[in-house]
Amino acid sequence: MRRFRFGVTARIVAVLVVLGVAVFPLYWMFVTALSSNSDLFADQPRLTPDLGQFGVFVDALAEGKAAGWLLNSLIIAVGTMVLSVGLGIPLGYALSRFSFWGKAVLTVVLLFTQMLPEALMVVPLFALFRRFELLDSLTGLVLVNSAFVLPIVALILKGAIDGIPKELEEAARADGARPFTTLTRINVPLIAPSIAATAVIAFFHAWNEYVFAVTFIFNPDLQPASVGIANFIGELGTPIQTVMAVAFLFTLPAVAFYLLVQKYVVSGMTAGAVKG
Amino acid sequence: MTVVEQTGAPKTTPPGRRRPSPLGSKWTPYLFLAPAALFILVFQAVPLVQEVYLSFTRTRLLNPTRSEWVGLDNFNRIFGDPEFHRTLLITFVYVITCVVVAIGAGLVVALLLNRKFRGRGVARALVTVPWAAPGIAVALIATWMLNAQYGIVNRFLDAVGLGVPGGAILDSPRYALPAVLATTIWQLFPFTSVVLLSALQSVPQDLNEAATVDGAGRWATFRAVTWQVIKPTVGLLALLMTIWSLRRFELIWLMTKGGPVGATETLVIDLYSQAFDSKELGSAAAIGMVGVVISLIVIIGSRLVARAVEKGDVR
Repeated sequence: MRRFRFGVTARIVAVLVVLGVAVFPLYWMFVTALSSNSDLFADQPRLTPDLGQFGVFVDALAEGKAAGWLLNSLIIAVGTMVLSVGLGIPLGYALSRFSFWGKAVLTVVLLFTQMLPEALMVVPLFALFRRFELLDSLTGLVLVNSAFVLPIVALILKGAIDGIPKELEEAARADGARPFTTLTRINVPLIAPSIAATAVIAFFHAWNEYVFAVTFIFNPDLQPASVGIANFIGELGTPIQTVMAVAFLFTLPAVAFYLLVQKYVVSGMTAGAVKG
Repeated sequence: MTVVEQTGAPKTTPPGRRRPSPLGSKWTPYLFLAPAALFILVFQAVPLVQEVYLSFTRTRLLNPTRSEWVGLDNFNRIFGDPEFHRTLLITFVYVITCVVVAIGAGLVVALLLNRKFRGRGVARALVTVPWAAPGIAVALIATWMLNAQYGIVNRFLDAVGLGVPGGAILDSPRYALPAVLATTIWQLFPFTSVVLLSALQSVPQDLNEAATVDGAGRWATFRAVTWQVIKPTVGLLALLMTIWSLRRFELIWLMTKGGPVGATETLVIDLYSQAFDSKELGSAAAIGMVGVVISLIVIIGSRLVARAVEKGDVR
């Protein structure tokens, strides 16, 4: 009995330690944003947020460029989400429901792209972007981010469509529906949760993307938040509270949305890899 | 989109006249996949081919249209360079540590959260926070926490008597790589633990009980029952962690830029600084190809191992 109790206590402590490790850095970002200068540089740092400093979030958005960065990120992310899901649904449908010449090659290519580092592709893409005058444009980032997130989106949606009984489509087809109608009327509503999950993945892929944005955007007014925040690292001019406030506003939506669709994201990522 | 409709228009049969197969004509799948395939062709396949070509040339960033075919020179040079050997070694250490520790930590956390307790749902959600956080934000907070003067990590280490002299962990050739690794693993372990947790759901509880009744210890039960069930998942995670870690860029780049004195320079960091600091696109492409070939070997190797294991198992 005693040993049992000890085991339970040890387990509770272990769980709390794990949660502490998981959450502390983001908590610390929040605390730092809400610190007065005297707390920040005191010998004993303050471990709890000073809620009286809450104005830092308002100031971070009102002054400086942070609001513009976040808006640029939002535009890129929404564009990427719409384009990659829009292209991913028909691709996933083709992979799930049809057998065609080149299918095996296409599947291998989709999986192969998962291992290509952005840093490797950035040089040839730079040349491509210059030729098509896509440098310094948010459209260019939407196009390239869509291309990079498209394979995982398509593989997740293929898996979702695989799970729908074919009989439903056959019934629709017997009524004379064409393949495109079948897809939009029958399959799309049934895989809505997976579509939502891929939309979140695509959105935050673009929201978080850094390498292409830092290489292809020169105009500071077009910078997304990922680049703006990365430029804070090693820079000393901006108060650390402002830096952390902007970073927190950038992080919070990503974490919140991922928690909502976590289940689909995890199963999708592993499914995409299993089929390799 | 328009391209597809143009190519597709003459090939689709007008409605009502003829319906060849229940799935439409044989061109139907191509209509569905063409826009996406075109996208991947333009933004991934073509650039990759160009990159392969670049790796056999001498090309400068400042004048990229003039490239001179040099055959295997870039590869001969990088493989003869002791600094590149070190880059390979650091990449190897980085990848192996990420794989082993992220999976090990993930497994421990998954086993902890697999027990029923009050608030388990909340605990599972909170554990995934690091994985959901953007890499940029993680690099920023890690740099701040590791700040030599005011960083909370140094204050804590000093308080427990383990302080690093001077405190500049990320500027120390000795501690920079462990610090980058710790940050990476902090971001990865939620993913491995969530995936392993779902694999643990399929461990048959009655088998566990049977093993315990038979007098097997905890470790023996784990090896005989749990491990057998989660083994394929562990293999899959090892593959994913390897590939992701081989291509990880922004976290390392933003924390250390590969420094100090190359202590955290993995292949991808090396390739990026060759291209944009040394402005040698040819060598950068050659380094990238080494990374791609390593990834391919890992993928194909893991397939072969998986197949061998399948054959060995009598089902």
